[in-house]
Amino acid sequence: MNKPQMPPILVVDDNHDNAEIIRQYLEIHGYPITVAHSGDEAIALFETVRPAVVLLDVMMPGRDGWDVCRVMKQHPTLGRSVRVIMVTALDEWQDKREALQIGADDYVEKPFDLPTLAATIQRNLEVQRAVAS
Amino acid sequence: MIDSTLLTDSDQEAIDKAVGQLDGWRVERVSSAELGTAVSNANGVRAVLVGGDDPSILRDVVERAHLAGTPVIVSCADDTIRRRAVELRAEEWYRCPTEPEEIAQRIRAAVARGYPHAQAASDRVERVEYEQMLHDSLTGLPTLPVMIERSRALFKERGELVVLYLNFVRYSKIEEIYGWEKLDAVLETTAAAVREFLDDTAMSTSRLMVSFTNDDDFIFFHVPAAGVAGPTENEITEMVARLQRHVGSRIETQHGEDIAALFDIYVGRAHVYYNPKIRLERLIYRGIREAANASRSIEELERARRVADLRSSLRDRAVYVDYHPIVITETQEIFGYEALARGVMRSLRSPEVMFDVAAEADLVWELSRLCRSRAIEGMDTQLRDKQLLFLNVDPHDFSDPAFNENEVKYPERVVIEITERTAIKDYPKFRERLRIFRERGFRFAVDDAGSGYAGLGSIANLEPDFIKLDISLINAIDTNFIKQNLVETMVRFANDHGAMVIAEGVERAEEFKAVKDLGVHLVQGFFLHRPSHLPQPVLRTPSAVPG
Repeated sequence: MNKPQMPPILVVDDNHDNAEIIRQYLEIHGYPITVAHSGDEAIALFETVRPAVVLLDVMMPGRDGWDVCRVMKQHPTLGRSVRVIMVTALDEWQDKREALQIGADDYVEKPFDLPTLAATIQRNLEVQRAVAS
Repeated sequence: MIDSTLLTDSDQEAIDKAVGQLDGWRVERVSSAELGTAVSNANGVRAVLVGGDDPSILRDVVERAHLAGTPVIVSCADDTIRRRAVELRAEEWYRCPTEPEEIAQRIRAAVARGYPHAQAASDRVERVEYEQMLHDSLTGLPTLPVMIERSRALFKERGELVVLYLNFVRYSKIEEIYGWEKLDAVLETTAAAVREFLDDTAMSTSRLMVSFTNDDDFIFFHVPAAGVAGPTENEITEMVARLQRHVGSRIETQHGEDIAALFDIYVGRAHVYYNPKIRLERLIYRGIREAANASRSIEELERARRVADLRSSLRDRAVYVDYHPIVITETQEIFGYEALARGVMRSLRSPEVMFDVAAEADLVWELSRLCRSRAIEGMDTQLRDKQLLFLNVDPHDFSDPAFNENEVKYPERVVIEITERTAIKDYPKFRERLRIFRERGFRFAVDDAGSGYAGLGSIANLEPDFIKLDISLINAIDTNFIKQNLVETMVRFANDHGAMVIAEGVERAEEFKAVKDLGVHLVQGFFLHRPSHLPQPVLRTPSAVPG
């Protein structure tokens, strides 16, 4: 029996502990996880890892999450299908509109509980599958 | 294809299958005892896969691999081994047994991460960014510097080049109204149509190249074939006309009449002749500038024509009204109609274009008056009892002395739609006018609600009875959770303030379902109903010109 392919996820967070917790939790759910600790590392890995979902922390030193989102969404081959989930508090109406402008698909507020995170990833993967078919 | 080798001590069959999935990779096996030495000595080894059962061998292999700059993947039979792998900072690991696909993925990721210094990573980032600079990701067309490079040799050889500058004009409001995704989609369609045209054109014996300027203009370079005279002016004129028709009809097929009406393409041309005394880039850029200027002159000529068309339309009252149904989400009953005025003349078919032209010619009040009166005229025939008429009014119309609350017989059946976007200079005066209209029985709708950055506070100030969501929010709302969140917020806000939410631009079943689930009260869009209009007024025919 063929086990269905679990889609790869790229977790981008400069906080190593955070990233490790997320990685372990999602791996229990069966997703192949790659971690990047900076925006630059995330972009460098993007084409090799080809993630279905990118979990992107906004507050990072160096290249921030918004820039990474923009670069990934504008990628000629991968930009269309990848789902980018911003990890940030988007309380204000304006923040959400800006996130839309940059092309973000969803967001998750910090601090988040892991089940919420898993559910968010799941719903984005479902949409992605529906769009692909 | 250069061979990459995966060095391993594990005999898992899945590993061979995994390596089979990677291009140009092969497996080399050694015993666990020999693995450490093999890692230090081997050439062409791009990654090491170690079965981590023996902790001292694991440590030794990882250390040597890292010294050699080779990434390590650890196959973990249990959690203890996994923890060790992580502590030793192995690049990747996986729990075995597992599928070959998983292993292949790990190998790929490990190689990606196995860069010994940060410099290499930033090189990769630069490369990704440069590639995005050389080709526009949206249209797939090369940028101008690339195209100039490519045409350099040919231009020198053939001695002449025709530059065609496609000035792609869009009404500035398209992004505001429909969102950037819509504009991107139209640009893609245009690029595809242009490329299609190039493949078909009879001029394909000569070299024709096209580039995209990122500001949504296209540039063609046409170099005539060897031994063939350059194209005549007539030939170019004909080609340009065909291109315009082709692109126009593609946009209309793909995105509909309304969107197609918002775009125009004006083509300017310039002939560039090779001159060894002048730098090639300068020659070409001058040619581009000349062609661009020519296209803008054509644009201005067209604009002047439209102003003339508008003046005669105002004189002849040549405006008709489309009534767009607004429907109750739950029951699909028609709640009311939005009146959309259109010019009878083809050039003024789109209301956005018509008002744009009016703004230029300072005729907005006159046009608004005409549109309103036509919309109200149709009320008796088009609307049933109880159904409301939604009328678009520019906030500046409130300063028009000819606009007053007594224009309408049944104000309680009229909802005045004001766009949130338009700036209101004298706010207290404006609110006073609103109050007077309200007293007469008029209701108000805020259009494009939330499209600005003002948040919900400014909407509250207007105390609307209806809140219309901007179209870009509804477009593909079924696949974007941020949009869903925003609409949810707006519905809650409306319910708290005794207003109803209208979702405009619902074109697909999925969009309808999404807004219904979010509690949106009313919907408008092609999915539900196509607009209808009353018979058009007959235009006075101008005296015929013979020949």
